[in-house]
Amino acid sequence: MNDTQARKPRRLSSTAIFIFFCLVPALIPVLLFTYYPIFKGIVMAFQNYSLFNLNDIRFIGFDNFRTVLQDPSLPTILKNTASWVFISLILQFGIGFLLALLLYKKFPGRGVYQGLIFYSWAMSGFLIGIIWRWMFNGQIGVINDLLLKWGLISERIGFLSDPKWAMISVITANVWYGVAFFAIMLMAAMQSIPEELFEAADMDGAGWFKKLFHVIVPYILPTIITTSALRVIWIFNFPDIIYAMTNGGPANSTHILSTFMLDKIVFNGDYGLASAIGVIAIILLLLYTMFYLFATRASKAGDF
Amino acid sequence: MKKKLFAAALLSVTAFSSITACSSGSTKDSSAGDSKSETVTLRMIESLTSPARTEVIKQMLTKFEEANPGIKVELISPPLESADNKIAQMLSSKADLDVMEVRDSTVKQFVTNNWVADLSADTANWADYKTLNNSAKLTANYIDNKPYYIPYGLYEKILFYRTDWFKEKGLEAPKTWEDLYQAAKKITDPSKNRYGYSFRGGKGADSYIVDMIRDYNGANTNPDDAMFLKNGSTIFSTPEAKQALENHLNIYKEGAPKDSLSWGFSEMVEGFQSGITGMLIQDPDVIDVVKQKMGEGTWSTAAIPAGSSGLTHFKVGAAGWGITSYSKHQAEAWKLVSFLSSPDQNKFFTQKTGLIPVHTTAAEDEYYKTGYYKPYMDMSADTAHYIPVKPETDYKGFGEWRNVIQQDTQLVILGKLSVDDALKKWDAYWLNEKKQGK
Repeated sequence: MNDTQARKPRRLSSTAIFIFFCLVPALIPVLLFTYYPIFKGIVMAFQNYSLFNLNDIRFIGFDNFRTVLQDPSLPTILKNTASWVFISLILQFGIGFLLALLLYKKFPGRGVYQGLIFYSWAMSGFLIGIIWRWMFNGQIGVINDLLLKWGLISERIGFLSDPKWAMISVITANVWYGVAFFAIMLMAAMQSIPEELFEAADMDGAGWFKKLFHVIVPYILPTIITTSALRVIWIFNFPDIIYAMTNGGPANSTHILSTFMLDKIVFNGDYGLASAIGVIAIILLLLYTMFYLFATRASKAGDF
Repeated sequence: MKKKLFAAALLSVTAFSSITACSSGSTKDSSAGDSKSETVTLRMIESLTSPARTEVIKQMLTKFEEANPGIKVELISPPLESADNKIAQMLSSKADLDVMEVRDSTVKQFVTNNWVADLSADTANWADYKTLNNSAKLTANYIDNKPYYIPYGLYEKILFYRTDWFKEKGLEAPKTWEDLYQAAKKITDPSKNRYGYSFRGGKGADSYIVDMIRDYNGANTNPDDAMFLKNGSTIFSTPEAKQALENHLNIYKEGAPKDSLSWGFSEMVEGFQSGITGMLIQDPDVIDVVKQKMGEGTWSTAAIPAGSSGLTHFKVGAAGWGITSYSKHQAEAWKLVSFLSSPDQNKFFTQKTGLIPVHTTAAEDEYYKTGYYKPYMDMSADTAHYIPVKPETDYKGFGEWRNVIQQDTQLVILGKLSVDDALKKWDAYWLNEKKQGK
């Protein structure tokens, strides 16, 4: 092989150029609707960008970041964000996994059960928040009524007004919402386990627990890793339920980073400040993603 | 390795998606108007949307179209929660809009950004302008003394109370905030799930606290700049402010459901009409809602209580119709706004939606002179005791303030912030606002 032949493949062939131009029509909307808003959001984080005075948009360096980082409620908000994400994730995964185990083998009426479980996933976050807000209402909520009727409590609980209960209440609603995602994804993964593996396990005399930990879990591990990684990001960026149920209160006890960001838009009309919070959220999520992929070794992850 | 890279890239993109939540989307709506035909199509957007109200507006638009065959109106009704943001985004991208709902809380923003037209020239030649009542004129000309919108109705709070429960306890409608506290305490009986007052601790709690503090400051409150006293200090800097805030906390602790710490508008109203609370302070649009749920003779309305000085300060809220500064059909748009704001149409609209009308002529109507609306007429007649104040919506920090005071009061109630520290913080907040200018 001479030098000319070795260099040849490095040049773009006419086929590659042709393919590139064929992709351009698809690339333009992606650039326009995905990457432009991201870029614009990052730029806005460094600007004085208030909806109340759009005639005064100017670069202000790191001022927005300074304001966010100096906010006295930030430590509480970060702590809340961590509990919101990880407690929700663990419960959603745990219950979702259990449901998947119960539902992945064929039995009469399985389709109906699957449909019922998937139901919550099809609802809007705000609607779920509003429904649960009324259910948790201290005076006229059905949850207090049931607990009183069953004799489990003697006095009504202010689920959304007591800081001790408020976080538990919003996480409960979020768990109800997210269980369906894990149930469906894990069930789909379980259904693809070859029957021979179970037959082989039976022949080896494996019991139910052994089958669970030596057949099912290893086989669906890539799905578990992928879905839980994605779910963390989604929960982190999901203000809907909290916003509709408690608006971050009482006294910041349920504020998370994404509701804090929304507050800056709704109350202040300050898109610059909100964008700075968005950038901080990206940095935190990137750190998490890198750590997670390193810890679980991405090669084990399933196809995205 | 490829899979690893792909996984990292995809997760990064998903992570990045968080920032798109804070990017302002631009909405470019295509024009529905057809410049070639003779018919002009006006595009109109509402903000305080509700299905029932939209229906009323549509009926009025039909009448307008019948009276003006050359003009068609296309009504845009975004969901209530996101309507103001949607309108602001449409205006910022100069989307095709001619008439829009302008509120006392959004007019400053619209004027600063040059989105709304000054209607001075139109109102100068408009016969019905003369019959607008003082509150309507005040709110229309709130910014720079120019009419940027014509209110379609006024919002002003009154006290709703359970006459049956009050009779049972031998009570009368409270005249002062202290009376309200005492009455609330007497009615409260948690064993019956019965409480005195529909306390607002959640979203929108700010105005309840501030109104009470103004009343306690009495004649010292400056009605033209009502976060301040006539001597220039803030309303939060006095011993009276402390008394007011303490009374507010006592009402919560002894006369309201614990849960009301997080109550917003709907929970307050639901609490009253479902028989949990005996008093509610709300706007007139709630009258119809309560009327439908509660029997005649079980409830009534009264004027807002006064501070220890005997004075009540009240804010008149307003919303109405304005014209975009860049509308290509200014004349037709004014035709529509003046039609909707005419005494006849306004009477129709306010009676259907339970608002206070904007024309003086409507006050003569029996509908407002007697019954549930009577306290409004009494309050406006007794100018020695009921003092209208200019809302603070023209300050830059107004939006943030609403959040600050709501969160801080929750902290005070939960014992995490002292009354003194809260007042000091609010005092500093408004001194800073004053320094920064409007």
